[in-house]
Amino acid sequence: MNTGSFDRYASVIFALVGAAFLFESRNIATSAYGSEVGPNVFPFLLGLILILLSVKLFLESLKSIHNKNKNREKLMIKRFLIILIASILYASLLETIGYLISTFIFLFLSFQTMEKGGWIKNALVAGTFSFCVYFLFVVVLKGSLPGLPIWFS
Amino acid sequence: MGVIDFLMQGFQTAIQPENLFFAFIGVLIGTAVGVLPGIGPMSGVALLIPVTATLTGGMEPSAAATSSIILLAGVYYGAMYGGSTTSILLNTPGESSSVVTTLDGYQMAKQGRAGSALSIAAIGSFAAGIVSVIGLALLANPLSEMALRFGPAEYFSLMLLGLAAVSGLAGGSITKAWMMTVTGMLLATIGIDAVSGVARFTYEIPVLFGGLEFLTVAVGLFALGEVFKTILHKEDDQERVAKVGRVIPSKTDLKESAGPIARGSILGFFIGVLPGAGATLASFFSYIAEKKLSKTPEKFGKGAIAGVAAPESANNAASGGAMIPLLTLGIPGSGTTAILMGALIMYNVQPGPLLFSDHPDVAWGLIASMFIGNLMLLVLNMPLVKVFAKIIETPPKFLLPIIIAISVFGVYAVQVTTFDLYLLIGFGLAGYLLAKNDYPLAPLVLGLVLGPMIENNMRRALTTSNGDFMVFIQNPISAIFLVCSVLWILIPFLLKLKGKNVVVNVEG
Repeated sequence: MNTGSFDRYASVIFALVGAAFLFESRNIATSAYGSEVGPNVFPFLLGLILILLSVKLFLESLKSIHNKNKNREKLMIKRFLIILIASILYASLLETIGYLISTFIFLFLSFQTMEKGGWIKNALVAGTFSFCVYFLFVVVLKGSLPGLPIWFS
Repeated sequence: MGVIDFLMQGFQTAIQPENLFFAFIGVLIGTAVGVLPGIGPMSGVALLIPVTATLTGGMEPSAAATSSIILLAGVYYGAMYGGSTTSILLNTPGESSSVVTTLDGYQMAKQGRAGSALSIAAIGSFAAGIVSVIGLALLANPLSEMALRFGPAEYFSLMLLGLAAVSGLAGGSITKAWMMTVTGMLLATIGIDAVSGVARFTYEIPVLFGGLEFLTVAVGLFALGEVFKTILHKEDDQERVAKVGRVIPSKTDLKESAGPIARGSILGFFIGVLPGAGATLASFFSYIAEKKLSKTPEKFGKGAIAGVAAPESANNAASGGAMIPLLTLGIPGSGTTAILMGALIMYNVQPGPLLFSDHPDVAWGLIASMFIGNLMLLVLNMPLVKVFAKIIETPPKFLLPIIIAISVFGVYAVQVTTFDLYLLIGFGLAGYLLAKNDYPLAPLVLGLVLGPMIENNMRRALTTSNGDFMVFIQNPISAIFLVCSVLWILIPFLLKLKGKNVVVNVEG
């Protein structure tokens, strides 16, 4: 697999991450009480190593650029994006509209995205899953989950 | 008290009804996880940590830790076994450690001998489990006593060796493996510093003070990353599942596979003990060894039962052997054991030499339960092989969204913050991108788990030496570990320069 171009971007990003840690570690107190080695040393060293490794990766990626992979696999971008956005919405709405409703909507939407049709079956599976998890966790195991919307209860 | 007494006590812990139940659930879920396409042992164990956390919520801390680690270990070796089912029936290995099994296993299935291949794999796994439990019981005490004499400098170097071993063998590019390790350790520095109490990289954001939760990162990287990959890359070729056929192996099958099982178990166990080597190498080596030893090597690849028995025993023995460095030294040798270690730390149980003196019930209970778990695996798998074969046919349409939902539920149930859910999705995306481009994920988790311990030991060693870094070299044991880790990095590198193919371990 050709990963050359990804590696180039990744090496820059990792170098930036390393630099950020390196730079920011200077703002941490440099000494701990009774010790010469403060909490800044370890992140500083790691940041440095990460930058060096990124440089190495960058150089390695230059070598592998030539063999470009022509026959690209077709990706299911649309399906992926819908499910990704649905997951983010699910995460952000979980506390407001409660576990039962948000999980049901998320699952139902994702099932439909994965494969159209079968409304009743999809709704049934989504409903059963969200109810069972909620029932087992909250009623049987006495855990706490936001069940229904706040304004509802 | 001798080893036997400890082991007896362990059995007393393990045969308590709730622990038997947990072992059973673990093995059952583990096998299902191993059989299901897309989730391997690593994501399976990560995904089940929150579930076990809630299951054991009402128990006292030490008992809760024992029960949950029994369950998670069950998932681990259950998944190892389940992976072989898909290798044999579908010709698609569930994880890299059962790649070798496909060579002869699928051939056997084609000849209508899938049932005996599956049952020999179960028997082999069981025998291997017994070997590794015996080895664990014998080696645990001497190793942990030796490790008790280690000071911070020795520990620092030993952990570095562990990291070097795993990163050196982790994937195609050693540079990428090391980058992942270092990134993992860097991420671990976020939060309150355990030694000085100073907040690092938190920027006054309250949720960051506790640091990035290990569970969120692991579930995101492994479970969600894998799901995202499967959603993006549609698999059109629905292969037909081979018929299982007769499950009970014939006498000649048993006779032919007894030797390979014994050899595979012992070889696999010792390979498993080495950090970084792991189950994939173990199965690989034992297959080659059997082929060399066999009087009829031409049979291999055409459905020789020894070609199923040996690697299957070896990879199970290796997963048992991998528990030894984890339990006695506190150093996980693979991605899955790193996740198990993270789970133990969540319960405030620190794996390492003190585990056997501080929490003997956890350590010996786990060892004993591995024995019971292996027995359950055998009893469960012989009659249920056909049921598990059905699980393979679960439509991904339902499976993938449900894995996302379980991840979200699990992380929220333990962390109770929306922030961790965003982090989960973020790490899922990162996991997909990194894994797709050959960046191994196991070293990142390993760095995340070992990072704080490496840092603490480094700083303690440097505090006693007044900041002199020479302390790591002047100390003889520490120096040996450091030399070993340097060799571990250099040797594959030199071999590559010579143009030789390096055997690479892609397992978690």
